[in-house]
Amino acid sequence: MIDDRSNIPSPTRLSVVVPLFNEEDSVEPLYSAITSALESFSGRYEIVLVDDGSSDKTFEIVAALAANDPRLRVIKFRANFGQTPAMAAGIDHAIGDVIVTMDGDLQNDPSDILMLVKELERGYDLVVGWRFNRQDKLVTRKIPSMIANRLIGRVTGVPIKDNGCSLKAFRASVIKNISLYSDMHRFIPAMASVVGPRIAEVKVRHHARRFGQSKYGLSRIYRVLGDLLIVKTVTSFAERPLLWFALLAVPALAAGLVLLLAGVAPLFAAGGALSLPVAGSGLLLLSLAATLLCAGAFGELVFATGDLRPHQFAALTRKRFPANDVPPTGEQENLVQ
Amino acid sequence: MTATSVQLSVIVPVGSRYDDVSSVLDAYQTVLDGLDVDYELIYVLDGPQPDVLEILRLEQTRHERLEILQLARSFGEATAIAAGFEVSSGALILTLPAYFQVDASELGRLLEDKDDYHMVVAHRWPRAGGSFEKIRRSVFHGMLRLITGQSFRDLGCGVRLFDRAVLEEISIYGDQLRFLPLLAQRNGFRVLERDMRQSSRDEYRGRYGVREYLRKGLDILTVFFLIRFTKKPLRFFGMIGTVLFGLGALGLIVVVVERLLFGQALADRPAMLLSALLLVLGVQIGALGLLGELIIFTHARSLKEYRVERIVNPAVVASDASAAEG
Repeated sequence: MIDDRSNIPSPTRLSVVVPLFNEEDSVEPLYSAITSALESFSGRYEIVLVDDGSSDKTFEIVAALAANDPRLRVIKFRANFGQTPAMAAGIDHAIGDVIVTMDGDLQNDPSDILMLVKELERGYDLVVGWRFNRQDKLVTRKIPSMIANRLIGRVTGVPIKDNGCSLKAFRASVIKNISLYSDMHRFIPAMASVVGPRIAEVKVRHHARRFGQSKYGLSRIYRVLGDLLIVKTVTSFAERPLLWFALLAVPALAAGLVLLLAGVAPLFAAGGALSLPVAGSGLLLLSLAATLLCAGAFGELVFATGDLRPHQFAALTRKRFPANDVPPTGEQENLVQ
Repeated sequence: MTATSVQLSVIVPVGSRYDDVSSVLDAYQTVLDGLDVDYELIYVLDGPQPDVLEILRLEQTRHERLEILQLARSFGEATAIAAGFEVSSGALILTLPAYFQVDASELGRLLEDKDDYHMVVAHRWPRAGGSFEKIRRSVFHGMLRLITGQSFRDLGCGVRLFDRAVLEEISIYGDQLRFLPLLAQRNGFRVLERDMRQSSRDEYRGRYGVREYLRKGLDILTVFFLIRFTKKPLRFFGMIGTVLFGLGALGLIVVVVERLLFGQALADRPAMLLSALLLVLGVQIGALGLLGELIIFTHARSLKEYRVERIVNPAVVASDASAAEG
């Protein structure tokens, strides 16, 4: 499964993307931890910090750091838009061939970054961290997360032990082509499945929160379930909406026909009367089947006018024999020296 | 006057409602001249209005900063402002109604507050009008607050000062002009609503009939969909669909159980028809939600969910030659 040949240009250009929201206490230690972890890195790197509309001094602190370090890029949001948009903005503005994402609360350990990059260079498109000794509350964080991961793996068909871990490494061309919206940062591996990526999972360190409060609670369970449904449907049916809606229409069609016949049948018996509720229900279900088919046709129109082109996904991960394929790269831009 | 020196572009859309053109123009002009800014004044005639055009053409001989834009048909206020915006060049945009709404002498105070905000909108206060009108207004804005979580108290006021970036980012059409402050705030712009004295000549001459109420109701619905629906269609439609589907399924189960256990014939149960109807409706609404998700998913790359205020150390886009180096 793994290529001998890595499709990442050498030396590797690395972008570390970190979304920040009210992390004034953590950013300085975070910055120094990342820079010292990357001291031994042989390629070039940049750090992209995204300030998601913090109300505290986060931006002032990172802007001061950036004034002295051209490798540090800061994207300041106009308001608080959420973690997934922040992640997406960082990825959009990163120019490395390898992108590593992590949380800004110091729970991920920057010294794991190079390990992930090394794993990616072995020929993977996506390397996800697994917090095997997670330092969080058992009842409100670890148990719900365990159930969620099982469920996500079962439903999406991408069995990953720890979807919630932000520490991940990506081949830039792959992640830049995956749409991230809503709360999708938790579902990146599943969303990425449209590309057919080679995914590896490695154990990473995890620390207890040192500063500030956890920004999640149990309330997100509902949102995670909703997003799971969305991820499942869009990744599996986006390309063939008519087929999917037709599959939905089949049971309605069958049930409708049966009920209609059952409702009309008494007419043929001597002295029988038409059963209005039964025949009517049958007609309703038949009309449902018709609307679903129309919705499917509408879906085809939506897909045709959208900007998703599956062959572009295929190009990202294809292999050629003999191997003379030039891997598709992102924008030809220079990392800040 | 060269276009590059313009700091403030004032756009006045002229629709069906306007007060005496010359006196409105004079009132605005006097105040604007008193401010220490380079400005241009753009009147946009929304559809052919020969009499207004004639007056404005005459005024043009007196007011050198006055520009007139005549649209070939009536497109509505939002499009008129967008058309004026296209020909404008100021970094700041000020929209003003073609009739007296706020006391013109207060316009300068909008500029004073502009520094800390991307947009400053006027709130006519103290406000004339009977108590019934007051109740009607507070009900409308209260409902909007409930839906959007943002509290604006006078969306009907056309006096708004904002950065060019606001209209560059938000395309308004149809009846959305009134909601521009809401949409701007949702895009992360900082918006201030500021009290301004109401003009003594501001009165709505039309009557509030059934039609007006219907329109207000539709307006609220529009905002509701714009704010709530555009990001997560399945969460919204899915919830409604699930509830309806659930009710329908429950009804069917009851009917079937009664048939099996108590032998009550299905043939004379209208409840069965109702349950089937709810079931069908639930699936249809859920299917709409799925279609909505499909639209978002297939357009996600053009629908950016974030707005950047500034970038420190932006990426240097180098030529291919230097990118190949190393």
